[in-house]
Amino acid sequence: MIKEHLQTNLKVRFWRYILVIAGVFSFAVCILMIANYLQMNTSDPVNTRLMNTLVERLNKTPDDQALRNEIRALDLLARKAYFTTQWQIRFGGYMFLVGIIIMIIAVLMLDALNKKIQPITVVKNDTLPDTQNKARKWISIAGIVLAVVTLVVAFLSHKDLGNKFSRKEGSENNMNVNNTTQIVSNQIPQQDSTFTDTVQGSNSPEYPTAAMKNNFPSFRGPGGNGIAYQKNLPVNWDGSSGKNIRWKTAIPLTGYNSPVVWGEFVFLSGADGSKQQVFCIDKKSGKISWTADVSGIQGSSSKSPKVTENTGYSAPSLTTDGKNVYAIFASGDIIALDFKGKKVWARNLGLPVNHYGHSSSLILIDDKLIVQYDQSNSANLYALSAQTGKTIWTSPRKVKISWASPVIVNTGSRIEILLIAEPFVASYDPASGKELWKIDCTSGEVGPSVAYANGIVFALNEYAKLVAIQIGSTPKILWENNDYLSDVPSPVANDKYLFVVTSYGEVACYNPKTGDKYWNHDFASPTYSSPILAGEKVYLLDKKGTMHIFKADKTFSLIAEPKIGESSFCTPAFSEGSIFIRTGNNLYCIGK
Amino acid sequence: MNKIKNIAVYLLFVMLTLQAFTLSAKNRFPKPEFESGHTQPVTITPSPRAIFFEYLDLVVLLASLTLISWFVMKKRSRKGVFGISVFVILYFGFYREGCICSIGAIQNITLALFKVNYTIPLTALLFFLIPIVYTLFVGRTFCAGVCPLGAIQDIVAFRPMPVKAWLEKVLGIIPFIYLAFAILYAATGTDFVICRYDPFVGFFRMDASFAMFLIGGLFLLIGVFIARPYCRFLCPYGALLNIVSRFSFKHMSITPAGCINCKLCENACPFGAIDMPVPHKEKEKTEVIVRRYVILSLVIPVLIIAGGFIASNFHENLAMVHHKVKLANEIMNNTNYGVIGKDAIEITAFKSSGQTTEQLYTEAAAIVDEFNTGSWFFGGFIGLVFGLTLIGLTVFKYHPDYSPNKANCLSCARCMKYCPVLPEKK
Repeated sequence: MIKEHLQTNLKVRFWRYILVIAGVFSFAVCILMIANYLQMNTSDPVNTRLMNTLVERLNKTPDDQALRNEIRALDLLARKAYFTTQWQIRFGGYMFLVGIIIMIIAVLMLDALNKKIQPITVVKNDTLPDTQNKARKWISIAGIVLAVVTLVVAFLSHKDLGNKFSRKEGSENNMNVNNTTQIVSNQIPQQDSTFTDTVQGSNSPEYPTAAMKNNFPSFRGPGGNGIAYQKNLPVNWDGSSGKNIRWKTAIPLTGYNSPVVWGEFVFLSGADGSKQQVFCIDKKSGKISWTADVSGIQGSSSKSPKVTENTGYSAPSLTTDGKNVYAIFASGDIIALDFKGKKVWARNLGLPVNHYGHSSSLILIDDKLIVQYDQSNSANLYALSAQTGKTIWTSPRKVKISWASPVIVNTGSRIEILLIAEPFVASYDPASGKELWKIDCTSGEVGPSVAYANGIVFALNEYAKLVAIQIGSTPKILWENNDYLSDVPSPVANDKYLFVVTSYGEVACYNPKTGDKYWNHDFASPTYSSPILAGEKVYLLDKKGTMHIFKADKTFSLIAEPKIGESSFCTPAFSEGSIFIRTGNNLYCIGK
Repeated sequence: MNKIKNIAVYLLFVMLTLQAFTLSAKNRFPKPEFESGHTQPVTITPSPRAIFFEYLDLVVLLASLTLISWFVMKKRSRKGVFGISVFVILYFGFYREGCICSIGAIQNITLALFKVNYTIPLTALLFFLIPIVYTLFVGRTFCAGVCPLGAIQDIVAFRPMPVKAWLEKVLGIIPFIYLAFAILYAATGTDFVICRYDPFVGFFRMDASFAMFLIGGLFLLIGVFIARPYCRFLCPYGALLNIVSRFSFKHMSITPAGCINCKLCENACPFGAIDMPVPHKEKEKTEVIVRRYVILSLVIPVLIIAGGFIASNFHENLAMVHHKVKLANEIMNNTNYGVIGKDAIEITAFKSSGQTTEQLYTEAAAIVDEFNTGSWFFGGFIGLVFGLTLIGLTVFKYHPDYSPNKANCLSCARCMKYCPVLPEKK
């Protein structure tokens, strides 16, 4: 019995020692770990005074290779120290865990050795009703306190967040709606004019304005409808001999956007994966007046969008109101520059999710810059304030990606913005962004923009159909045809004729009212450029750089086929007596 | 014999090969961020594993639950329960790094119910369901020692002190509130709060923020004196099992035969889960009980509506936990997360995402709206819990002997060894 007691005492002492040793060990490891952790958190291994001094010295003597190596060695040392500290914390953690486990075992063993029968203590417990009463009381108190505290905190911290976000979103959309009239009345100074210009609100039947007609302010001319109002346009030139080539200017950055013209200037943009630029070229001399770098825009993604070679980073054409020029790129960066190249405003519309690259061109109506932004992540039509870039309105669209551009037309009773994308052609009110009408009639990856003449909208797409939509109080499909379709060039029309150009170079002329075909002619040359109707002539530039000029008539009548000598994907721009053609790397001015 | 040895060697080889695939998915190098001061967030879940090991986890869960139920119900062995607890700490704790666990699976289930684009892993679904099924049959044997969080606390409960019965009831509401939070945040896709604030996972992974280590350490320290504080006063899965266990077909008993009221087990339960004999004389007047019961029954709908109303007023604060709402708020107020002189890392990340602020505001407004709706249910549920608890505290249940409280008993089998009654011979 005594022997057993002594053995037990010995075991108890042994486990007590183990417990103390394990406890002290765990405590020491714990303290060391905390110290290590604090040191790791407070010190910045690559931002020490010594390192900064050395870097400063290197900045003064950048060719000092020895110093460079010294900094590298110090940097490596600092990083090694950082990782060693991390390892120490991890290893210390395991040591601490082992110590705690030993402590637990020791405590359990001591408990087992210290078997004592606990005396039965007669404790005066509360009766069940007493316990229930107390519990009910305290649960009620806890509930009330919880409710009051929650309500007080809710009241004090009330921010009306949901509505604020909605308002903020709305305010970005609606900003400047109130001052629209004022801006309109302060409209830009106009160029010399053969037309009488009256600046009107968006519901005015005066569109395009005289100033727009005097110039070529956007892709496919005023309103983007493929009509050039200029006269005395050349029909003969030759790029190789220089005949009727006024000047030729190399453009530093490539881009598939077409030139736009206002007054004395021609505007273009170019971009690659790392650079975005806007170029202003003097119309008379062909010299680049200024180049504006488009970078550092707030909200712009640091990653470059994925685009295909055929679309590039700057497919959308610019637009101008004679005061500023506006450009958008595949990155969603949009900028307004004045005619001296100074930034007026810039913003980013969000990185477009677009497998070829964003290509819808910009267009203006009054003080609103219209942006068709049909991407796969979201599709919207934006009206931005031309003065500030703030969103005036946004019209969400349930469409697939579109590469077409907006067209603005005057129907006689109102002005409409016409858009095409799968699955419909739709019209929007420029003042409010409200959808005026839409007709499901197209499919596929839509590239060509619509054409409009005499109350009829013409829309087409490759593998879909050509549709003539009679607009009015109840828009309806007037006729359909699928003989000649296009995946890039847009159609063009006037009161008498509709011209459809296929991507492989065949042209068909239709009666716009009935859909009867007058004629077709195969130029047998692939074409990406859209035809421009100038007076009685149609100008169609093919990919090889040959301009097919033919009469807008019931029968096909070729006027001329001058060559620029370089391939071109762009639609030419027109000015009084001049044509501007952008080729791969150059801009040509053609005229006598 | 050699054949068995060969099979064992091949099996080991196959397991190591499978493990090698998962190893390749791990980071080869840690990600320091010296320049920006950004701290890499601690991952909530450990590295993915081969599907074989996920099924192995299920097998281990089933085996552990079966074994521990057998130890509790048939063998009445505390040592067996302790042995399983140690194994579970080592396997589900340190080896599986506390994930997957049945407690966290609540959130997977919720997310799968509310977000159609989330597909719940089969293992998560079964980890949620299997312990519930076992509880329905044999009580909370999962809590006894198969849950690594419970097991680690159980082992450190050296000097448990009794908590007053009324206080136990009051604190017993907290797990239901935590459950409501976990469901709200999982349903809105905000966060898996149970996993994020799991106090012991840091120990299991040897990797957590200092604050989480501290909280885990505090829980274990408190657990020395107040046994299993997390299980009793926080665990949301325990709240579910608490309800299911009330309806269990069988449950462990303190005595193997009839209770002789010897009082030896009176202080045996460190969790206060033994119902003492309640004599008839303690009963209040029946009309008082009935009147109170009727009043409380009528009050419950009021509590639900009041809870919903209060929580809906608080929904903005609840929504601010969502990172997009927080980001939109910071951008809207131009507070830049309190960072001065440069963009906060969150702002930089947002800018490089290509998203516009308008889109962010739209998303944030939609999330706040979700929280507005969700908080009605959240508050209503809390109101219901308060109401039902109050009703439960009105019911008088007469019983003459010492028996485990089916809702709160964790089936740890401690009390059994205190009982001097021998099993009846068949």
